[in-house]
Amino acid sequence: MTGKPSDLIQGTLEMLILKTLALEPMHGYGVALRIEQISNGVFRVNPGSLFPALSRLERAVRIKAEWRATENNRRAKYYLLTDQGRKALKEETQQWSRQLAAITSILEA
Amino acid sequence: MPFMRSLISGIQALFHKEQRSQDMNEELQAFQEASTQEKIRQGMSDQQARRAARVEMGSTEAVKHKVRASGWESTAESIWQDIRFSLRMMAKSPGFTAVAILSLALGIGGNTAIFTLIHQVLLRDLPVQNPQQLVTFGNSEGGGVLGGVDLGSYGMFPWYFARQLQANPGPFQGIAAFLSFSPKVSVRLSATGKDHSNAAAILAPANLVSGNYFSILGAQPLLGRAITPADDATPGNGAVVVLSYHFWQQSLSAAPTVLGKTININSTPFTVIGVMPESFHGIKLDLEPTELWTPITMQPVIQQGRSLLTPQNGAYFLHLFGRLSPEATTNKSALAQSQVWLDQQIRTGIRANEGTPISPARQQEINRATVPLISAANGVSTVRSQYGDSLRILMAVVGLVLLIACANLANFLLARAATRQREIATRLALGSSRARIVRQCLIETMLLALSGGLLGLGIAFITTRALIVFFSQGNPYIAMSSTPDLPVLLFTLTVSLATGLLFGLAPALTAARTGSATTLSSNARTAQSSGGKASRFWPKALVTLQVTLSLLLLVGAGLFLRTLRNLQNQDYGFERSHLLLADFNAQLAGYKPSQTPALYQTLLEHLSALPGVRSAALSATPPISSGAWSSTIQLSGYTPAPKENMVSILNRVSGQYFETANIPIIAGRSITPADSASGLKVAVVNQAIANHFFPKGDALGRALTIDIPTVKGPWRIVGIARDTKARGPRNAEPTRMTYIPLAQIEPFVPTAAASSATSGKSGSTATPAPPEENQDRFAGTILVRTTGDPANTIANLRAAVVATDPNLPLLNVTTIQDQVSTFMTRDELISSLTAIFSLLALILASIGLYGVMSYNVVRRTNEIGIRIALGSQLGDVLWMIMKESLLLLAIGIAIGVPATLATGRTIQSQLFGLNATDPQTIITAILTISAVTLIAAWLPAHRATKVNPVVALRYE
Repeated sequence: MTGKPSDLIQGTLEMLILKTLALEPMHGYGVALRIEQISNGVFRVNPGSLFPALSRLERAVRIKAEWRATENNRRAKYYLLTDQGRKALKEETQQWSRQLAAITSILEA
Repeated sequence: MPFMRSLISGIQALFHKEQRSQDMNEELQAFQEASTQEKIRQGMSDQQARRAARVEMGSTEAVKHKVRASGWESTAESIWQDIRFSLRMMAKSPGFTAVAILSLALGIGGNTAIFTLIHQVLLRDLPVQNPQQLVTFGNSEGGGVLGGVDLGSYGMFPWYFARQLQANPGPFQGIAAFLSFSPKVSVRLSATGKDHSNAAAILAPANLVSGNYFSILGAQPLLGRAITPADDATPGNGAVVVLSYHFWQQSLSAAPTVLGKTININSTPFTVIGVMPESFHGIKLDLEPTELWTPITMQPVIQQGRSLLTPQNGAYFLHLFGRLSPEATTNKSALAQSQVWLDQQIRTGIRANEGTPISPARQQEINRATVPLISAANGVSTVRSQYGDSLRILMAVVGLVLLIACANLANFLLARAATRQREIATRLALGSSRARIVRQCLIETMLLALSGGLLGLGIAFITTRALIVFFSQGNPYIAMSSTPDLPVLLFTLTVSLATGLLFGLAPALTAARTGSATTLSSNARTAQSSGGKASRFWPKALVTLQVTLSLLLLVGAGLFLRTLRNLQNQDYGFERSHLLLADFNAQLAGYKPSQTPALYQTLLEHLSALPGVRSAALSATPPISSGAWSSTIQLSGYTPAPKENMVSILNRVSGQYFETANIPIIAGRSITPADSASGLKVAVVNQAIANHFFPKGDALGRALTIDIPTVKGPWRIVGIARDTKARGPRNAEPTRMTYIPLAQIEPFVPTAAASSATSGKSGSTATPAPPEENQDRFAGTILVRTTGDPANTIANLRAAVVATDPNLPLLNVTTIQDQVSTFMTRDELISSLTAIFSLLALILASIGLYGVMSYNVVRRTNEIGIRIALGSQLGDVLWMIMKESLLLLAIGIAIGVPATLATGRTIQSQLFGLNATDPQTIITAILTISAVTLIAAWLPAHRATKVNPVVALRYE
């Protein structure tokens, strides 16, 4: 554990959600849990940011939602990546890498 | 596409709010459930896990709110809430809302009305292709037939020269010509040809145009074809006519079969070949729009006179315009080249007309001759040159009125914002953002502004219609419309929104600056009545601004009203009552000049016999008229200096003209019925001629010759008449007048007739080829002196003319007052409108001052009560309140007077008989504004003295 969970960098949440959904369709809690697990608990996404982000992505047709049964046979809303979402993820990942490289090189200069 | 998706899902979200909310609930429930399960899996107890999951989630309502806020529809919804809230607030204070909307409507309506006219008169492009490429050669506003001038003077050109440039347009895309005025022609529609003598004649303005006129203009006909160079090839040929849309609608019932039909114009058959679109009125936009276009080759028919289509020299009667090359439109040096080319053509043309040899001085003068290219993108408009400045001034006036209305509303809203401080503080305390409060305030003002704008459009429509009636001066049809078009609607919308911002922003920002802590505390009234420095400064500044602007408007109105009175009250040299004038045209009825003496005698007998008629006379032009017959004259015993101006206005008159017009004879005798064709040729000149050429007083008995061959003379001067304002009331210099007897004009044109005449709009110097009758024997005006109100004699006059000959067209019957006032329409327009608007401004300003002072008194009720309780005298209280208003008034005047003096210079040219710095006007304006201010301030101050200290101290 590296201390308290930190806030996400502005604007990266949507990218992370897209990345998470790229693996498999998931419901809201699954997304939050996956992000927390993969980041080793550094990022913790609370419902207050997660659901507005999901709503924005749905509005932009990058993801779509379906009601499905969960593993314990309960109804849950699953989110799927659309083709547009896949494209957007690719673009944003590239852009992120470029920015990251630039920031790193500035910090190391 | 994503935009559409977002729009659709947003609308769905708005309409299925319940469904959405349930979905969200279920989803959040599932989230919490999953979270609890996960935590149990990690080893928490069931209860702990539930608790932790709930903490993690926080308020589900807050999450749902955030989700909703992520879409646009929530903003739309909250704006809608704000709008409904604002409407409720407006309904709660109907008095304020009504005053606000009404004053805005008046302000915006005034602006829209004047803009509608400015747009139509000053801004609108000609409805043709690339109008910005069109240029006229010189100022093409004048009209008539000139002789003895240099090429291009007054923008006038002879036919042969126009032809040369048409054939060789140099750097221009093309050059075309048109008749410099549109004479009225008599049109008879002959549907089948058999009954055309029975069909009533219609009088319509017709213009002559060169064959390439329509193609150079870039105007396409609505039906049929336009006039082509083939129509305009040989003088006398090409009897074809293109109709205006209005004429086609009005006189031909928009018959689609009109093409190829024959109509008679001045008794000559013309074939209808085309109809122009509704918006097209030619390049020259006269008040009364041109209805017919025919080729220049038909000039003798249209002008009913001598042919001016001479291969060399000839009279100057055409205007020219060209279409610049695309480069010259954008590139200054290319434009300069076009100008150089034109000047070369002009100079070559002038030299060709000079006798040889040309003196060096003259050579120099020719080398300086230039005819400027003037942009004709908006067409050539006499209305524009007459009313353009007035409209600009009026636009400034209505702009000021709107500013005053804005200042008023800003003040009211500031006061209201102060009284709503508690409400706003409560909202802030409940978590509303300041931006939301500013937005709500702005929505309220925007609603006011837009309602005002909507009502203003209605006011503008009515006002514009009234103004157009004013402009039309009795013309039944003019090319102006009061229906707002797209640019006008956009203008109104922009003005409304700008107005809303202007008066709404300051109160909105003040409201949002409210501190929540102090306002909600129990002694809120102290917080309110002390206010911020800003909250006391702005109302005062705005009232001062209103005083300043009102003063400006009052001075303007005063100056224009006095100008009008000066114009009306000056000495015209003829009497301006009991005189009836009528324009008639025997030529259009088919009379030959030789038939006129008999006709005129019968006419005068009929007129003199009318009850209530003291005397009757005929003349070429009325005692005051804009179109004039004029020429250079020569006087025996006077040798003119080189280049001396020898021009005199001429009039040909029947025997009793001087008694009828009541122009006093100073010396000698007047022209009488005894001056017949067989008698000695006599003339009467006015004082201006007698005093200028014969200062020793020996003008009587001199011989006078006129440089127009048809009325050459010599004429013996037998009388000297008083000076008259023959060319209009603004002419300060005395106008030279020469009167000759109608009866003594030669029946035939001398054979060596050369055109060296200058003539007015009537074009009456025109004479046909030999054996030529003298067209100058026609009179154009009937004058009747009445014993009673001349308006009562109009019907009798019409009857007398019909009794003489039912076919004789009477064009226009007016009293002399009306005739004189046509010269002052501009002054009447501007003075009455500035007077109305400054009155409006004064009312608005006094309402504003009254409002601010009343509010101050209410705010200070507490303080006043304490003062009275402590023994303050009523007079002291009164003075305390009045002092504040008087200070504002003094500051307003102190700023207003220099502002008035500074702006006065810009309207000096519109004034007559006084200076823009006229002290009397300025003092009157200051007194008026002071009186109104004092009344507006006294009422609340008086109310303050009535304050009951006991009530006041409890007052909250």
